[in-house]
Amino acid sequence: MTDEELELRLKNAVEHTAPDDLDAILARCGTGKGNVIDMKETAKKRKHWTKGLVAACLAALLIVGGGGGLFYQQAYAVASVISLDVNPSIELTVNKSEKVLSCKGLNEEGITVLADMGGGADLKGAKLDVAVNAIVGALVRNGYLDNLDSAILISVEDSDADRGARLQQELVASVDGVLQTAENSASVLSQSVAADKALDSRAQQNNISTGKAYLVDQIVAMNGALDFNALAALSVEELRDLIQIGAPDMPIGQDAALEAVLDYAGLGRDQVPYYDVDPELDEPTPYYDVELVIDGREQDYGVHAFTGEVLQGVKTPSVMNPGPALPQADTPALTEAEAAAIALADAGVAGDTPALSKQDWDDGALHWDVEFRDETSEYDYEIDAATGAILSSQKEALPMAATQAPASGGDIGEDAALAAALDHAGLTQDQVSRLKCQKDFDDGRTEYEVEFKSGGYEYEYTIDAATGAILDHERDFDD
Amino acid sequence: MQQETAKPLEPSPDRARLETLLAGVAQGDREALADLYAAAKGAVHAMALGILKNAQDAQDVTQDVFVRIWDAAGTYRPQGSPMAWMLTIARNMALMRLRQAGRTRPMEDADWDTLPAPGLSPEERMALRAALSSLTDAERQIVLLHAASGLKHREIGQLLDLPLATVLSKYHRAMKKLRAQLEGDDA
Repeated sequence: MTDEELELRLKNAVEHTAPDDLDAILARCGTGKGNVIDMKETAKKRKHWTKGLVAACLAALLIVGGGGGLFYQQAYAVASVISLDVNPSIELTVNKSEKVLSCKGLNEEGITVLADMGGGADLKGAKLDVAVNAIVGALVRNGYLDNLDSAILISVEDSDADRGARLQQELVASVDGVLQTAENSASVLSQSVAADKALDSRAQQNNISTGKAYLVDQIVAMNGALDFNALAALSVEELRDLIQIGAPDMPIGQDAALEAVLDYAGLGRDQVPYYDVDPELDEPTPYYDVELVIDGREQDYGVHAFTGEVLQGVKTPSVMNPGPALPQADTPALTEAEAAAIALADAGVAGDTPALSKQDWDDGALHWDVEFRDETSEYDYEIDAATGAILSSQKEALPMAATQAPASGGDIGEDAALAAALDHAGLTQDQVSRLKCQKDFDDGRTEYEVEFKSGGYEYEYTIDAATGAILDHERDFDD
Repeated sequence: MQQETAKPLEPSPDRARLETLLAGVAQGDREALADLYAAAKGAVHAMALGILKNAQDAQDVTQDVFVRIWDAAGTYRPQGSPMAWMLTIARNMALMRLRQAGRTRPMEDADWDTLPAPGLSPEERMALRAALSSLTDAERQIVLLHAASGLKHREIGQLLDLPLATVLSKYHRAMKKLRAQLEGDDA
């Protein structure tokens, strides 16, 4: 097979596995051009938010309604009102058979999410659980709900308390099932609410559901200085976090956090092709995590959630973790010696300490893996090959035995290590080139690293210095 | 192994055409976005696949990238390379997904069986599986981009911030590995 044939196969394979979902993309591109705030990606699981203060607040909202029921015999009579709130707010009405009578987006984002379902009309007549699954699927596809801290609020308004509670339970299970399938980490909050005309009216004025209005009302009850209308504009995730921290103040909101960072960085919104704003209000210092990508480089900022001040060095360790740093354009890659010097200096170890460095490519970024030891410890550093940033560092105390010079009887010597490797490869020394043999300390053990090339292959061996046992070996194409 | 007639690789989508389409997208032209998607989704998917090693995840990111292109097309400056610009967005979004997920999710048999990929032949699937499973990160990205984006090695080097010599040596090494694995499998 020629390179061209192989490439053609790969090209076709990539094209055949590429998505064919133009309609979904167009649905997501319907509105808000140039003003998209993503709430994306997942790293840890946090299912069902059912404990602590939030749960207590939600439980407090469980109000057993009375009256009503006059029109239940009629198939078109509204038996329950169900709302789903994330940032998008969507409201469904169902009859007593749990068939959908109407479905509509209450705000612009809700309308967008329903765009590929006829604005909600396609769901009319569907069973409630089917419709809710379809909506949650659309929310996930639209990038909501897969942020590790994101939250969906399900509210059920039903004058029949038993049915309302059952619906609530079923919907939570159903939504959780969809999110599990999507390997999603969003919290599922739920509540039963009672009809309240005053609250309905305030909800309508703010284009949110009555369910979300209940949540907002709860926060106003905690801190009367906070404005209902301003709170209504926040996401369910922000509201949930606010309840958790006791609603001490009014968050500036995601848009204002982005603007604060753009002001700080001296940038216009049109200069930033990608950004992501993630509320972290439940951290010790409540903040918005704002990520900008400028000229291919990722920059992370924290903005104080209440003051709007751009923070430096206040981020949590998880945020400080640089992850796969993007290599810096036009910056020459670090040499092995430079990488080792950075690591030795950081460890406070003498600059002339021998260090074993190798280049590694991990998570999309090139870095130097630097290992060395002093009398008591072994160090392992990962240094970004483009920027010199310390990506990770590890210090491990050496076992007492390893801190002592190996006993003469405990070291087979370089020649024996070499012989063991060659013997394993079935080669003699005159058949190999670029032979290297280096003593190393790893895992509290003395080892020989043996490398050579022969017959178009590269060989690497790790030999136990005490026993001559082959601990690791690798044969790879020599390029 | 089965013989396959070598066809000349298609030329990369014309830069001027991509720029025209991007200008249309910047104006909110949905048909331009549809044409751009048809022209560039393979390349964007290749970038995402090269980083994420998982076709399902790469499909998700590819969709996200085109939504991002819709939002950001107005910031594209015509003096650059439109394909490189789109692939930079794809790379950033795939890296962010990877960072947030913490690790790649290698594909199991069941993942391949349920992957929506109409028209994927067994040979193509085998080649892609080999690329995803047996190449290093850099080798995989270089090979997939070269195969699917139409970018030259030099342009791939600029995109991935690697010297041309490194791109070339990794490319040849990767092709050798893939051939050895596929011909070994076919034997």
